[in-house]
Amino acid sequence: MATQAVKKRKRGSKGHFLSHLYIWILIFFILFPIYVVIESSFNPTGALTSGSFIPSQISWANYHLLFSDPHVPFARWILNSIVLATANSVIAVFIGGASAFAFSRMKFRGRRIGLQALLLVQVFPSFLALAAIYVMMERVYTVFPAIGLGSLGGLLLIYLGGSMGVNIWLLRGYIDTIPMELDEAARIDGASTPQVYWLIFFPLATPVLAVTALLAFIGTFNEFILASIFLTDVHQRTVAVGLNSFVGAQFGQNWGPFAAGSLIASIPLVILFLSLQRFIIGGLTQGATKG
Amino acid sequence: MNRLSGFTGTIALILKIIFMGSVDAILLAMFLAALHKRSGIIELIIILVAVLANIVYFSKRTMPFKFLFPGLIFLVLFVVIPVVYTVQMSFFNFQSGNIVSKADAITQLLNNGLTPDAANTSYDMVLGVDKGTFSALLTNPATHISYLATNSVVTTLKPGEFTMNSNGDAVALPGFTPYTPDQAANLDSEITAAKFPMPNGNFIQPQDTVTAALLTQTVHLDHATGLLTDTAAGKTYKDNGNGNFVNVNNPKDVLYPGWRAFSKFDNYAHLLTDPNIRGPFVGVFVWTFAFAFSTVIMMFGFGLLLAIALEQDLRFKRFYRSIVILPYAIPSFMSILIWKGLFNRQFGAINGLLHTHIDFFNSPWLARMMVLIVNLWLGLPYFYLISTGALQAIPSDLEEAAEMDGANPTQILRRIKLPLLLQILSPLLISSFAFNFNNFSLIYLLTGGGPTNSLQGQTAGATDILISYTYKTAFSGSTQNYGLASAISMLIFIIVASLSLWSLRRSRVLDLVS
Repeated sequence: MATQAVKKRKRGSKGHFLSHLYIWILIFFILFPIYVVIESSFNPTGALTSGSFIPSQISWANYHLLFSDPHVPFARWILNSIVLATANSVIAVFIGGASAFAFSRMKFRGRRIGLQALLLVQVFPSFLALAAIYVMMERVYTVFPAIGLGSLGGLLLIYLGGSMGVNIWLLRGYIDTIPMELDEAARIDGASTPQVYWLIFFPLATPVLAVTALLAFIGTFNEFILASIFLTDVHQRTVAVGLNSFVGAQFGQNWGPFAAGSLIASIPLVILFLSLQRFIIGGLTQGATKG
Repeated sequence: MNRLSGFTGTIALILKIIFMGSVDAILLAMFLAALHKRSGIIELIIILVAVLANIVYFSKRTMPFKFLFPGLIFLVLFVVIPVVYTVQMSFFNFQSGNIVSKADAITQLLNNGLTPDAANTSYDMVLGVDKGTFSALLTNPATHISYLATNSVVTTLKPGEFTMNSNGDAVALPGFTPYTPDQAANLDSEITAAKFPMPNGNFIQPQDTVTAALLTQTVHLDHATGLLTDTAAGKTYKDNGNGNFVNVNNPKDVLYPGWRAFSKFDNYAHLLTDPNIRGPFVGVFVWTFAFAFSTVIMMFGFGLLLAIALEQDLRFKRFYRSIVILPYAIPSFMSILIWKGLFNRQFGAINGLLHTHIDFFNSPWLARMMVLIVNLWLGLPYFYLISTGALQAIPSDLEEAAEMDGANPTQILRRIKLPLLLQILSPLLISSFAFNFNNFSLIYLLTGGGPTNSLQGQTAGATDILISYTYKTAFSGSTQNYGLASAISMLIFIIVASLSLWSLRRSRVLDLVS
């Protein structure tokens, strides 16, 4: 037994060296673009990297531009994105949570088919239903401009609809892990289904609902393609669409403000992510394993 | 029980009535607004939603639907309806030139068939209101005959009935109130719609706010035969059944605009028969599979190894973990654009670091490699996270039992952990495959599908996947072909859906659902 233990430790230490090596290679790979972005955000020439790896000069010009140029309402873009992402994640969790509860806890005709349809709908290249959505929202615009084409409200509706399937599917996975005994006990005490939902289940599920909300928040914050097609007015842009205008053009790419803006926009997400990573790991896998 | 009792009885009922009442009030207000604009389909949808909502929330027998209803509404409105519409579009000739309905197309064709008469007769015009209707005083400067014209009748004015200016134009008439120039400038819709009837099927139409012209309708639609005749050109056109009027003698002589017309399987047949589409399609098809498959394998491989490495008792483990998931928190479109800059031939940091001038974007294989590398960067955190989660979900007694039986760590990994991992993660791997199969933003933002060899007239680039190729075919040229794009979408959907269903059946996820 003793020799075996020694052997094991020896192999372990060699393994540790290889692990460290592997991890460090990946860390270099991961940090490389991030470093370049940080460097170019302080580079006043507007180029992505100055060619050498040690920044030759440090300037706040790019950051200054984001908050002073009237043609670049960066603060407004950030606000738009935060409002959109918050609304989407909160509404998605409330509506999706209720549907997921029904799929997880209730028996009704069409339940199995409904779940299969949810999965199938997810693999439809929804991006190509875009033409249809566009025509639809154009029509809505003529009646309700606030939720039609070009409005943040309309975009919110599309995001909500588009992510509803995934959210219900994920949430159902979580809800299945909450022991049935709890709601059965409440039922024996005479609680009705809505009471079980609001008073027993909802408080219990708060952590998982929060994770889903967080993922929905990040998803909305990151979304670019739909937003770029729908939002044309410069003040209605999300931060993704706004920043792209610096480097999206074929010529005259201005990396400096793009890099500075990207960093500012990423910081809240990175902090959220790092502080909640334990929950996120559980959240991502549970939805699948308990599928 | 005390907490629960607040939710029962009359108070709950009153709350419910107040809530549903306000929902109904909002829907009613929306309905009236829509009705005012005569939108048709929007009114119908609002009524349906309102009726269903009231049935669901006031009936006692619809408990599951009380929970499902809001989610279902969103799914139906923003997922199911667009999908159904896409399916429908794929069976229509729906592209630039064939966008509008048949009625609108005919209206436009008839308007295009208005030609000035042989003498190019024009009129001086004063717009105004006569007996409450929009009308005009018209004077032919050649003959000095004046008219009072409305959209229903044109009367010739007798000399002395009206006031003339120095040119002999009628400018005032008892009962006629002329518009000021400012007012007339704001009458766009009235002026475009104005059509003052003259004998012989001719009519006078305003050209601006002060002149009008005598026009002849040279294009006529015979409602009985459905034939369109152009008397000026002496041609007859018939409906070709595919959204256009064509010359009865020469089907290649097509009139535009056309309309969106049911075209059966034409769009699908196009994919198979049109050499311009079929040629690149096969290559794109193969690369799409190769890309989606290899990128998932790569990300999973690197992610799993990382998860295994970080499962050990390492120093700086927490620090490593935090770094490793960073890419997940950075908006991916930003990362893709930054990578694009890094790979740049002249200014990119990668060439700068290596002191080379490699043109990654112009070599098909380098571009493909680049796509895989960038996607690895983007996807690594996700695959690390799900692998970690799955590793932790494997019961540790399995490992202990295997150790007791004398299995070494490699054996435990290969024989016990890996099969279990694959089973746990297969739904996620499949959805990741489906996601990458349609990873439009990666390709679009990084390479734009390129490189393309425009010398050979290629439309599809080396890194184009089906969805980016569809986007190019459908939307980026001078004509936009929604019908064809929808047909390709359907094809993509069928491929991905059957793959997903097949593998989900195999992994028995759906059995757990029941």
